[in-house]
Amino acid sequence: MSVKTILCVDDESHILHVVSLKLQNAGFTVLTARDADEAFDVASSAAIDMVITDYQMPGPTGLDLARRLHKEPGKRDLPIILLTAHGLGIEQIDIAQAGIACCLSKPFSPREVLGKVNSLIEESEKTAAARQ
Amino acid sequence: MRMCIVQSIAAAACAAAAWWPTLAAHGYNLEFSLKGAGLVLAAGSCSVLGLFAIRADWLKQRNHLLEQTQACVLAEPGVTAPPPADPQAAAAAGKMREQVEQMRSRISQLQVQRKSVEIQLRLADAERRQTETMINGMADAVLVTNNFDELIVVNPAAAEIFQIDIPASARKPVSQFVEHPRLLADIAEMRQNPSRGNRRNLEVTLPVEGRQRTFSVNMNCVLDSSNQLSGVVTVLHDNTREKEISKMKSEFVSHVSHELRTPLSSIKAYAELLVDGEAADDTTRNEFYHIIQGEADRLSRLIDNILNISRIESGMTRINKKPISVTGILKEVLEVAMPSAREKNITLVDQILPLFCQIEADRDMIYQAALNLVGNAIKYTPAGGTVRVSASADESQGVVIVNVIDTGVGIPPEAMANLFEKFYRVEQHKNMAKGSGLGLHLTQQIIETIHKGKMHVVSEPGKGSSFGFSLPILA
Repeated sequence: MSVKTILCVDDESHILHVVSLKLQNAGFTVLTARDADEAFDVASSAAIDMVITDYQMPGPTGLDLARRLHKEPGKRDLPIILLTAHGLGIEQIDIAQAGIACCLSKPFSPREVLGKVNSLIEESEKTAAARQ
Repeated sequence: MRMCIVQSIAAAACAAAAWWPTLAAHGYNLEFSLKGAGLVLAAGSCSVLGLFAIRADWLKQRNHLLEQTQACVLAEPGVTAPPPADPQAAAAAGKMREQVEQMRSRISQLQVQRKSVEIQLRLADAERRQTETMINGMADAVLVTNNFDELIVVNPAAAEIFQIDIPASARKPVSQFVEHPRLLADIAEMRQNPSRGNRRNLEVTLPVEGRQRTFSVNMNCVLDSSNQLSGVVTVLHDNTREKEISKMKSEFVSHVSHELRTPLSSIKAYAELLVDGEAADDTTRNEFYHIIQGEADRLSRLIDNILNISRIESGMTRINKKPISVTGILKEVLEVAMPSAREKNITLVDQILPLFCQIEADRDMIYQAALNLVGNAIKYTPAGGTVRVSASADESQGVVIVNVIDTGVGIPPEAMANLFEKFYRVEQHKNMAKGSGLGLHLTQQIIETIHKGKMHVVSEPGKGSSFGFSLPILA
């Protein structure tokens, strides 16, 4: 099994640090970005297997990033995890329409994030195998 | 009457005396004739006098009877007058007395009824005026329509919303003035299905003075005593502001929640990494401890700021105003801010003049306001920059002026108007430093709301900002 690359996007440096560390310790390659525009540039220039993004960031939101990435060739099925500290929650329909695979509320547990990443990678691999 | 009789007799005697010589000259036997005539005259006079005397007596009796009857019939209620002596008159008087009593009683009843009607009329008039004043004084718009959907009552609030000329609108179809289809349809439907319990609540949006406003509408049928529809009352309550406040509250809760969750996330995540042994060495572990401590402090400051703002806005904050000098407070602020400035290689310059004048203020609050301004200046000034803190007195204006001038990133012009809003952060500078967007709002509340001072800000992107405030000198 090849080493998976995960893109983490958050304007909070501590969140980026803690998620990156947890995933790196679990054997993943982690790329980081501080906002949606930077994330899109990173995703365009490197092969990534999954995105973990904050919802509320300066500029476009995590949902905007998801919509934009899924329109890119080869990224239609890219699994995206949304981290949110949004007080009133986000409309489920918006989450579904943006193709978000999983939504986690802040404060989150890094263990939980790792668990979700593993299950989504597994699911994604199964889907890919079924297609072949 | 007696005088007339006497005068007649005297006239007759005078006439006889006048004719006496003439008759005598013509040879009449006046003596014989005179005796006869005298007898006739005397007899006639006696008869006339007798008749007159009888008539006078009869008249006297009749008048007495009348007086008695009148006294008996018209005696005051409760007073018993003696009946007339004549039995017939007494019987007639008795009947008449009864009739008079009945009439008196009827008149009395009618008078009471009239008074009651007059009172009712006055009450009804007062009630009408009261209702009219109430309806006209209502902030809610009131429209009353009749069986034909014609306007019969329009209050000034409704006239303003629907641009109605009240005197000209009487008995005109409501559709001439109200264009909202749902509102018109519901009024018509209420009219067609009148019942006492028939009421309707709906929400409509109407353009008022070029702005869309939301109204909660309440409709009720008015029925008369025979359960016939006498009108449909439509009351429109403008709840635009309530909705705005409700939205602001939700946004505030959302912001607070977001701001609280962010440092909490870091604390929870780093603690979990430590527990799971994910920190490779002591240096990393120490780094995690410091991050947790820093985020806990951030959380604590955030909660303090939110509570302070909430207390100030609700007027529940305890203010301890005393005559103080700003010089000492600012020196203290500089001392506290110095380590973080040094850490960022920022020069903190003390330009505080010794002031002899005092202000009446809450020391802790002014300290908090000054610390917020100096803290912001350090946060948004790149390494190597300068932050100057000055204090001076303007005797002519009667104020003490405090300024915090930095050589930082400055503020874009489009952001200036929102700087003091709760949770507002300049988008371009969010990544420069952590913050909740509450500090400037709290500072403004402290200076302007609590101390009746004035905040001022001047900024140029790329060159720096000058934030400050002025407070009245204690006389």
